Amino acid sequence: MSIDAEMKAALITFTIESLELLQDMEDSLLSLEDGADPTERINSIFRAAHTIKGSSGLFGLDHIVKFTHVVESVLDAVREGKIDVSSDLVAVLLPCCDHIALLIRAVVDGDVEENPDMTTAGDALLAELRPFLEGNPSSPVATVAPTPDRVEASGGGEVETGNWHISLRFGEDSLRNGMDPLSFIRYLTTLGVIVNLTTITNRIPAVAEMDPETNYLGFEIDVKSDAGKEALENVFEFVRADSIIHILPLESAIADYIELIRSLPEDDAYLGELLVKSGVLTKRELEDGLSKQKSDSEASQPAQPIGEILVEQQVVQQPLVTAALEKQKQIKDNKARESQSIRVDAERLDKLIDLIGELVISSAGVNLRALQTTQTALLEATGEMMRLVEEVRDSALQLRMVPIGTTFSRFQRVVRDVSKELGKDINLVITGGDTEVDKSVVEKIGDPLMHLVRNAMDHGIEPAEVRLQNGKPSQGTLRLNAYHESGTIAIEVSDDGGGLNRERILAKAVEKGMVAADAKLTDQEVYALIFEPGFSTAAHISNLSGRGVGMDVVKRNVTDLRGSIEVDSTLGVGTTMRIRLPLTLAIIDGFLVGVGKSSFVIPLDRVVECVELTNDNGNNDYMDLRGEVLPFIRLRNLFCINDQPPRRANVVVVDVAGAKTGLVVDRLLGESQTVIKPLGKLFAHAQGLGGSTILGSGEVALILDVPVLVSSFEHKMQRHALSISA
Amino acid sequence: MQTLTIEDELTIFTAAEQKNNLLSFLNSGDDLEINLSQVTEMDTAGLQLLVLAKREAARTGKTLRFVMHSKAVLDILELANLTTAFGDQVVISHSEG
Amino acid sequence: MAKTILVVDDSASVRQVVSIALKGAGYDVIEGVDGKDALSKLTGQKVHLVISDVNMPNMDGITFVKELKQLPAYKFTPVIMLTTESQESKKQEGQAAGAKAWVVKPFQPAQMLAAVAKLILP
Repeated sequence: MSIDAEMKAALITFTIESLELLQDMEDSLLSLEDGADPTERINSIFRAAHTIKGSSGLFGLDHIVKFTHVVESVLDAVREGKIDVSSDLVAVLLPCCDHIALLIRAVVDGDVEENPDMTTAGDALLAELRPFLEGNPSSPVATVAPTPDRVEASGGGEVETGNWHISLRFGEDSLRNGMDPLSFIRYLTTLGVIVNLTTITNRIPAVAEMDPETNYLGFEIDVKSDAGKEALENVFEFVRADSIIHILPLESAIADYIELIRSLPEDDAYLGELLVKSGVLTKRELEDGLSKQKSDSEASQPAQPIGEILVEQQVVQQPLVTAALEKQKQIKDNKARESQSIRVDAERLDKLIDLIGELVISSAGVNLRALQTTQTALLEATGEMMRLVEEVRDSALQLRMVPIGTTFSRFQRVVRDVSKELGKDINLVITGGDTEVDKSVVEKIGDPLMHLVRNAMDHGIEPAEVRLQNGKPSQGTLRLNAYHESGTIAIEVSDDGGGLNRERILAKAVEKGMVAADAKLTDQEVYALIFEPGFSTAAHISNLSGRGVGMDVVKRNVTDLRGSIEVDSTLGVGTTMRIRLPLTLAIIDGFLVGVGKSSFVIPLDRVVECVELTNDNGNNDYMDLRGEVLPFIRLRNLFCINDQPPRRANVVVVDVAGAKTGLVVDRLLGESQTVIKPLGKLFAHAQGLGGSTILGSGEVALILDVPVLVSSFEHKMQRHALSISA
Repeated sequence: MQTLTIEDELTIFTAAEQKNNLLSFLNSGDDLEINLSQVTEMDTAGLQLLVLAKREAARTGKTLRFVMHSKAVLDILELANLTTAFGDQVVISHSEG
Repeated sequence: MAKTILVVDDSASVRQVVSIALKGAGYDVIEGVDGKDALSKLTGQKVHLVISDVNMPNMDGITFVKELKQLPAYKFTPVIMLTTESQESKKQEGQAAGAKAWVVKPFQPAQMLAAVAKLILP
């Protein structure tokens, strides 16, 4: 009989045996509550499940293993008295038996693959079993996915250089335990070529003392193998506890490993991690070293550096530790370079930037005047000056740029604490931490980010059991990422959770009257609804979101920073919230307008359109904009400008949180990039002004803070209306 | 010249008995030869005994040769890289077991 | 001469698959359905390795290994225990009884062969 035919025969044995076991299991389950001592019956029920699980694994029937594992866990807890036998339990276990039988019959019919319908049915049954396990925290239900046995050499090491020295001193009892040293060495030859082997015989004592059943031999082996250190270590798994085993890179290979350590990416600053990554140290060796360090320091000895411990325990050589230490220092230095620079009072820096802003403007004035002359030498000189001044401005703005990483890394703690609070296992992955952004932006982005992060953890990432059911790893991943994109910085908060439910958002929005029931909206438009004030889906209530901050506040914060926010989401896969912000708040794209002799700058991103003010009687404060009522503010009145008004005024339509307001001005002067100068303290009470700037002509222009301007104007109007009605 | 033919396996199961055999054989003369052709199985315990015998012979100024190695013995000596160290003539063509 | 391995498991299909794999690799196989049955099959013949399940009716794997180690003909025979991830304590009991090697269930035949190859020479 061929192997294939034999395996087929074995599979038939498996199905017959399993169906018999299931029949016994059912009979035992049905008789469990008859009052007689159930111990032996419980044992046999457990063994049946255990056997079916083990056998299914041999045939690669992973879906049966997965289902039976949970049943087995429950039965194990029953066996150990952690769960009482009850009619409820029997009522749940019986259908589980039936389900296993179904799965096995499918195998009999030649269907060895997972069948989605059956899996759904199985998941429903498992959901009923879970409550029994939950009351019993020590049950090993978390290990649903059977981890592959470590016996098999994992192969495929992390490094190309595969030259190892293995030093083996087998324990004295090895032979008595049936663990033959030479047999392990023979197995080693299946992983690589033994280049050199020396049998160490000097521990064999004098004839009289020599116990022939005690092992005295040791071996020093040079092996050339592509398998990693981990795989080599696993060869000696069974004798590790009693033997002294050192696996080290060959002296000749050390240089290669040093090179490898040097070329590692700089994202890990721990010595041990560096060594593990380079493949010269295994995780187990590192853990052993760390636990020794810990126990030493608990014994109130001065903590020994991990590098020294590892060398002492002969799991890695000194030159490699030295190389890793150098690498570590290099990483630290690079990090330090970011944070160690000279501390400058932020105010001084601001003053410098102000001055440079003025310098830019006045040099523009100089240039203008030079252009009016025909002196070529002067023109050349001013041209060169302009170039330099712009360079100075750029590098001055650069001074305020800080990496966003420090803001990001604060979230490590937040994520840890909130995960604990929510009972979820969530891992934070930070990328793009060295992306730079203006200091003022970094200071203000913390709160909105915090809300997005909490929101993603609370609502985005599903509970572990839901994740497992959906075939995701139980640990959720939250990502913070930043990158530059055409003059803005993009900051992303992504989760691998359930994604936004378009239908639910839409239904809620319709219910709240935010959109018409028949509205045709793109996904983007639907997702944008979650940022609307007053929007909150029913599922959005928990102790975390009960903190009084809604997504609308996030949106407002971001808008205040002259940024935007957008959402990408795929149902079942995850959500990415992307904030785009200007790189600096010190420069603004403005729209320059004139009223009388004064100039004002309106932030360009507030401007919707410009229209001419027609049929103006000079008294009303609203106009007809294509059939809509557009309230407007006369800047002339607001700022008490008494010059002769022009014959025709213009209205700049601005947008504040979706509401349009007009600003009546005399002249439209066009777009300009402006350096913002803060107003002096004298003007602190002036509402609606965001700062000032100096124009090329040397004039000062005031920058309007549109949201404040509009809301304070509305207040005034309300008071006015009240006083009239009173 | 004295010759001993080891009739059994040279493993942990027979190690205690074989040690006694070997030692008494070492006392039986000065020019000694051990025939290993009948050793069907050998492991680390057996290897230790052969090392011990060689060392003891050298210490007491006797000549000890291993001859007619069986395949099981040769395999072990090769694995432990001791064939040359033992300095015995090995007939590769002799194979059994 | 092929080496002999005793496979003890109450599941016929596990015994069958393990036997197929071992025979394919050139070993001779004796089977036992539980500890008691296995002991009765051991009549002093040479056995180079024992593979035993833990949970079995009549006599469990731990008791079986303890008894096995009392028999002079088998006291040095290596034993592979078939444990499960969730039974770390059983693994330790098994080791204390003398089963120093283990394979975690569920396993693939190749994993079993790797464990065997570490313990006995071909």
